[in-house]
Amino acid sequence: MMRTVEVLIAIMIMTGAFLTASFFAVLPSPRQVSPLNLSRLSLTTLETLDAEGGLSTVAFDTTNDTAWNQLQVALSACLPSNIVYNLTAYDISGTNGQPLYSASRSISNAQSLGVGSNAASYMVASSNVTFTVTPQKIAATLYILNCSDSNGWWITGYTVQSIAQQFLQMFSSYFNSSSIVMVQNTTQLGQLMSGQPLGNETLQNAIVINTCGEAVPIPQTYAINYSSEYDEYCYQLGRCVNEYNWTWVSIVGYPFYYVTNTVQLASIQNTWGIYGMYCDAAAGLNAFLEGIDNQPYNYNGNWLTSDVGVVSLTTTALSNCSYYGIFPSPTQTATRALPASIMTQYNLTRVATTVLNPTGGTLPGAVFNHIFTGATNVTGSLFALGVTRVPDTRLAALGILSDYNPVMYKSQYTAAGTSALIVLQLGLAGGS
Amino acid sequence: MAGATIDHLVAFTIFLAALLLFIGFYNQINQTAIVYQYHTYIATKCSDVLDSMLLNPGSPSDWGLSDSSTKNLTFFGLQDPEFQQYRLSPFSVMRLLSPSAQQYNNASWNVNGGYLLVQSSECIGYHSVTSMLGINGTYDFQLSITPTITVNISQIPSTDLKLEIQAYGTGFPLSNANVNYLMFWATTSTSGNYPVLNYNLTSNPVQTDSSGIAYIEFPALSNVTAFCFIAEAYTGGICGTGYLSQDTVTNAGNLIPYIESCDGGTASMMLAQNPQTGMGNLYFNASFYALPDNFVPAQAGNFPGTVNSGTPNQNWTITTNNQTGFLVVAYGDGSNCGMVITPLGVESIGMPVTFGANVSGKNWVATDLRQVLIGDIAYQAKLSLWSLQGYGVTG
Repeated sequence: MMRTVEVLIAIMIMTGAFLTASFFAVLPSPRQVSPLNLSRLSLTTLETLDAEGGLSTVAFDTTNDTAWNQLQVALSACLPSNIVYNLTAYDISGTNGQPLYSASRSISNAQSLGVGSNAASYMVASSNVTFTVTPQKIAATLYILNCSDSNGWWITGYTVQSIAQQFLQMFSSYFNSSSIVMVQNTTQLGQLMSGQPLGNETLQNAIVINTCGEAVPIPQTYAINYSSEYDEYCYQLGRCVNEYNWTWVSIVGYPFYYVTNTVQLASIQNTWGIYGMYCDAAAGLNAFLEGIDNQPYNYNGNWLTSDVGVVSLTTTALSNCSYYGIFPSPTQTATRALPASIMTQYNLTRVATTVLNPTGGTLPGAVFNHIFTGATNVTGSLFALGVTRVPDTRLAALGILSDYNPVMYKSQYTAAGTSALIVLQLGLAGGS
Repeated sequence: MAGATIDHLVAFTIFLAALLLFIGFYNQINQTAIVYQYHTYIATKCSDVLDSMLLNPGSPSDWGLSDSSTKNLTFFGLQDPEFQQYRLSPFSVMRLLSPSAQQYNNASWNVNGGYLLVQSSECIGYHSVTSMLGINGTYDFQLSITPTITVNISQIPSTDLKLEIQAYGTGFPLSNANVNYLMFWATTSTSGNYPVLNYNLTSNPVQTDSSGIAYIEFPALSNVTAFCFIAEAYTGGICGTGYLSQDTVTNAGNLIPYIESCDGGTASMMLAQNPQTGMGNLYFNASFYALPDNFVPAQAGNFPGTVNSGTPNQNWTITTNNQTGFLVVAYGDGSNCGMVITPLGVESIGMPVTFGANVSGKNWVATDLRQVLIGDIAYQAKLSLWSLQGYGVTG
């Protein structure tokens, strides 16, 4: 009998243990077991309501009862009927010791949000605020060759003037207005070559964009003086680039392949039937390179460039596409890529910027800095894009911006009254 | 001695019974907890799979716009590649093969005179999608993409043509909403048998009342006019659309539009007589309208033709330039007219899409919901997901 009593006592202990364990082992409610992702639903609801900027408008118009009623109708219509909500708009100010967030208006369809709720927040900006990006000004003069007395080659479909306008438009925000100079004719180019600015701009360290493609404008005096060997003009141009530390930009094809002056060379055609243009062929570039390196002039008609086919933008150039908002095709066809050998042959020893990836011993798109042996300062640069026609001015612009790296100053939504925070809290109606 | 033995036996028996009973009790609590844990995991999986579908465009990302890309799809996603967040491609959604599909994806068969019948070979099947999502054999799901705002249109008795437009959301009527509309109607031609497709594309917006209902009357049209009406209701930043088309069966049958392919900015349509045999001439006049977000349609092609028992189908290639829109067709046998409509991009007339396995009878189905946009139209994407391996699926 004693054993039976002991067993009954043991059973009582086990019952107590079970009841105690059951008391603490509380199973979650079915809603907690398989919850609706209220946080995501809340966020997507806010995004939907703001798809056309409606929520942004209402958030800053807290006294407009009609607009808030419409918002409540829309909110009620797009949420399932068993969902209760509370939407609150907060002003972001934080000035004069006020709290950073202050509730400006709230709507709800229930007194409370039940036993469990979740929320998402969404930042909206006032439509009265304009987001601006101000580029840092490049401290150099930009000369755009817009010579009315010159023709272009390999700029098929464009004119020299239309390309010049494109560059002017693209660079107008990156330079002070007095630092962008349109060189209107070859006489003005001759003036620059003689060291005289056209206005108050600084001649030294300038950028010169040749918009004539494979041709280069030649002033009349140079055309007369070098009528036996026009490539000597290219040599003089190289000397100027070296002396004034210019960055010469060739936007397409073989640089200095032709010289052009529609008046002085009116009776000469470029072997393709375009008058006002003389074909220097490969000698022009060789002479320019001799000039930039201050070597004595020697006629050299050896072909320099290579056809390397499809090339791609470098990682840096791709990154700068997004930074500067310029989006040329990431792949280009380079049929006039300059060889890397010119770097040692003409002291173009530093590649400051590479726009197109080097391939096969060539640099299809790069800014070469000329530095004399033993010197440290740059004395002239050549930015040659050896791509095939038709030129993409965006590619040249990207290269120049990548070379100078102007900072883009972006405005921020920090001023009081320009931003609001919307919080949508959702709960499930009913009990647990 | 015998009494002590009996005492031991009785005590042991009672103790053993009590022990087994309590082990059973504890085991039951543990089992319930384990089941709950699996259910929680399924709910989490449901949320993950839904986001995976809605927040990536798939690969190749333009698969909705190209038949060949659809066939070469390596990863599944419905996001519009030109946007971010929860904005879906109207063309990708159109290519989801419905559960009842046979030769054509039967997303809609004559719902209010609307058809969305994409050739099945140009669509993406459910089992391909589960494989691409990595859940083949472990989970089944059903994805339903339905307009957040339902815009119901019905004709109400009147001597002239009078329509009732009812706009409501999942939980509430859309009161005081502005309603824009487009009206197409067919009339028999005085010079031939081809029906004339008339339209009024410049609507004066009306407003719904507190019940979300608005009325529009067309005094110039009789109550037996064959028409196709599209309405867009919007308020508070949310927008929904609906349609009603009078798909009349004439003495020469009716006309059903099929989407044969949709590729490279063009759509190949087939207009088929129904039934295909024993019918006389059925004349039609079809027009495709691109419908941008501002709800101002632009006609992008017109195609008149005839179908009969000898030539029951006519094919027409539309240049869509990858814009969404709708094809509206007026048809008639010379005396009676009807109209049908088919969307190119589901949102242009607010068609819902259901994709995946049948959810009925499944044990413990987790669901999750997202608000999404297709074009400018608000939709809800609801995913129901369940395990195929009982409670053994843990990851």
